[in-house]
Amino acid sequence: MKKSIITLFLLAVSSLIHAQYNTLRIPEALYGTTFDLNIHESTKQLRTGNLTVTGAINNETFWGPTLIINKGDEVHLNVTNNLNESTTVHWHGMHLPAVMDGGPHQVIPAGALWNPYWTVKNQASTLWYHPHLHETTQAQMTKGVGGFIIVKDPQEAALALPRTYGVDDIVLALTSRSYTTANQFDSPPTSTRIYGDYMLTNGTPNAQISLPKQYVRLRILNAEIERGYNLGFSDNRSFYIIANDGGLLNAPVLISGTTPRVKLMVGERVEIMVNLGGDAVGSSLDLKAYNSGQTLGFPGGEPNSSGQFGSLLNNIDFSVLHINVAATTSNPITTVPTALATNTYWAATDANVTRAITVTGGQGATPFSLDNHTFVLNYIDKTVNLNDIEKWTVTNNAIFGHSFHVHDIEFKVVARNGSAAAVGTHESGWKDTFYVPRNESVTFVGKFDDFADADVTHPYMYHCHFGNHEDGGMMGQFIVTSSTMGINDINPSTDFSVYPNPANDKLYINLSDADTEIYYVTIVTVSGRVVMMLPEPKWQNGIDISSLSSGVYVIQIMDKKTKSLTVKKFIKK
Amino acid sequence: MKKSGSLSSIFLFITISLLSFTSIGNITEATIKNFSLKNVNNKTVSLSNFKNAKGFMIVFTCNKCPMAKFYSERLNKLNNKYKSKGVYLLAINSMDTLAYAEESFELMQKKAKKDKLCFPYLQDKLQVVAKQFNATHTPQAFVIWKNKTGKYTIKYQGAIDNNAGDANNAKPFLANAVEELLNNKQVSETNTESFGCRIFFRGEKQNMY
Repeated sequence: MKKSIITLFLLAVSSLIHAQYNTLRIPEALYGTTFDLNIHESTKQLRTGNLTVTGAINNETFWGPTLIINKGDEVHLNVTNNLNESTTVHWHGMHLPAVMDGGPHQVIPAGALWNPYWTVKNQASTLWYHPHLHETTQAQMTKGVGGFIIVKDPQEAALALPRTYGVDDIVLALTSRSYTTANQFDSPPTSTRIYGDYMLTNGTPNAQISLPKQYVRLRILNAEIERGYNLGFSDNRSFYIIANDGGLLNAPVLISGTTPRVKLMVGERVEIMVNLGGDAVGSSLDLKAYNSGQTLGFPGGEPNSSGQFGSLLNNIDFSVLHINVAATTSNPITTVPTALATNTYWAATDANVTRAITVTGGQGATPFSLDNHTFVLNYIDKTVNLNDIEKWTVTNNAIFGHSFHVHDIEFKVVARNGSAAAVGTHESGWKDTFYVPRNESVTFVGKFDDFADADVTHPYMYHCHFGNHEDGGMMGQFIVTSSTMGINDINPSTDFSVYPNPANDKLYINLSDADTEIYYVTIVTVSGRVVMMLPEPKWQNGIDISSLSSGVYVIQIMDKKTKSLTVKKFIKK
Repeated sequence: MKKSGSLSSIFLFITISLLSFTSIGNITEATIKNFSLKNVNNKTVSLSNFKNAKGFMIVFTCNKCPMAKFYSERLNKLNNKYKSKGVYLLAINSMDTLAYAEESFELMQKKAKKDKLCFPYLQDKLQVVAKQFNATHTPQAFVIWKNKTGKYTIKYQGAIDNNAGDANNAKPFLANAVEELLNNKQVSETNTESFGCRIFFRGEKQNMY
């Protein structure tokens, strides 16, 4: 009798302990070459009581599906903005033309469809997509709009690595949120708080997952507004870093010692492999953020538990994922390959152009900026020549650390504070984002080897990836130009006609001058609502207007060379 | 396109938002002028149509917002419960119809039919009524009450209740306010946090293009 009471008690306690965890949401994986992304407001039960208004994509209630794409494929994205405000979608880490990049210039108004496409040039890697609308990035990121992109290639596929999505290959988007009394996210414009009080992993509070007793691969993204994560396992087991932002390292990097940790700052990704093969089925461990006792300037190291820069998670160690060890799968990965990839990295000596960027501002009410210039939409900070190998040094003598991200390319971090030896082993691969602590500098080298579009209407960005800092204007812009680009004195006539008119499903364009290159087609209702945005459309086969409701529309064509706009009306039957 | 941004403009915007938020305490007794809006049955509805009204539950809502969708049944119940007591429910859609195809009058009619709404669902096409109330979200509820001089003043503003997903475990702020007013009491909670989708006003710099 007594024994059964104890058993009951233990059962009750264990169920209570169990009850504090929620099963980690694994975002739906989408495969193929055409992807429909419907961005919308949603609601999610994140706390006891009221639901929270979120931003989500497709069937998710926070965050979006994982796009799984292959190197070499031409992928087409049908992005519909069903939020009740404008947004943009940036493909973070993707090497693609600036007009497809989804930066702050590529505004998708509420209700509009945006159709970017590109050939995947990146190697196998973990990338992501997120909103990038100036002054609104923090609010829309806080809502949860975003998602992972997993690029696959033959080189990665030939390796014995965990790659069964959701089983031994797990995406982890790390964020935290704080809530109002009505359980709504604290975010601009009603709150200036930047750190969450409660952890959300893939949008799951107190997340747990069952992982098989073998090597597992965690693709970890810091999807925060500002907080950094100093990651490690609760039993201080060692683990391997196999990939950085831009894909596999040449060889795994063992993180070991008495406290094996890896720092992951906003926008960065790291793929790690950890061995659960020696764990008992039914045992558990935690992936934790060891964020207590960080040096001044570490985002989330501030001592305050409330206020603009405060949070209940500041300066403490906390779990980001509770792992329950389950049975081994049928074809487990039991070792880590000794070699992974054959990257040829740029060295400092390869650079033929050197640039210096300084973090400025941040004093009092002055926002952080780059080179004393706050972002404005129509100012090109830097012009890069096609195929130049450039060395950029970002110097941060401001009062706080920053996460620096460059669009277009993956690059190699070659020095910290001028020292090649000071570059961490955890960041030895291709990067598109890095942390620059206060009073330090970071030097990277990258080659701008494609997309010399010189498109001042859609430049690439470089910026601090802290949502509040980029919203405050800590962003610069660059274009890539080619000296071999033809300078033709004669501008083509951009006049055109459309047929048939009225049209049913397809609208065809007849250019009056064959030299016109259609760069951008925008379709707008007569009342002025943008419905379709088509960068460099394949218009020769007709434009698919089957999704439009009947009515009168304006079609606007941007010529590639002159960037001039010409408009016509048509009727959709 | 939006004008180039600066943090000062964000600060200004935040300051304005906070000011309007903190000033809500002062406007709870603000007088609401009569308004006339088109109902989904194509007839015009005005406050002055309701000669015997003691007050109104004014609920700003819309077609598309997921939070607004939770409340149709609850609003029907509130209207059925209080209209015989001289308190009428008027739902108002103040979303920008130029910006959102989903908020058209035709789709309002469709929603009213599908959700069997038993109260007027009015279109505030020029967003003037929302501005008069300082409405910020859908859904957001107000109670206005007739004073001795025959004018309506705001007695409650905020959420309909505090649990969108579970009406049975919600604190019914709006109903409580109406009950207290019907019993000639002061409203004990005059101001609660509204939540849902933001109402953007056309022509104002609020990230609408």
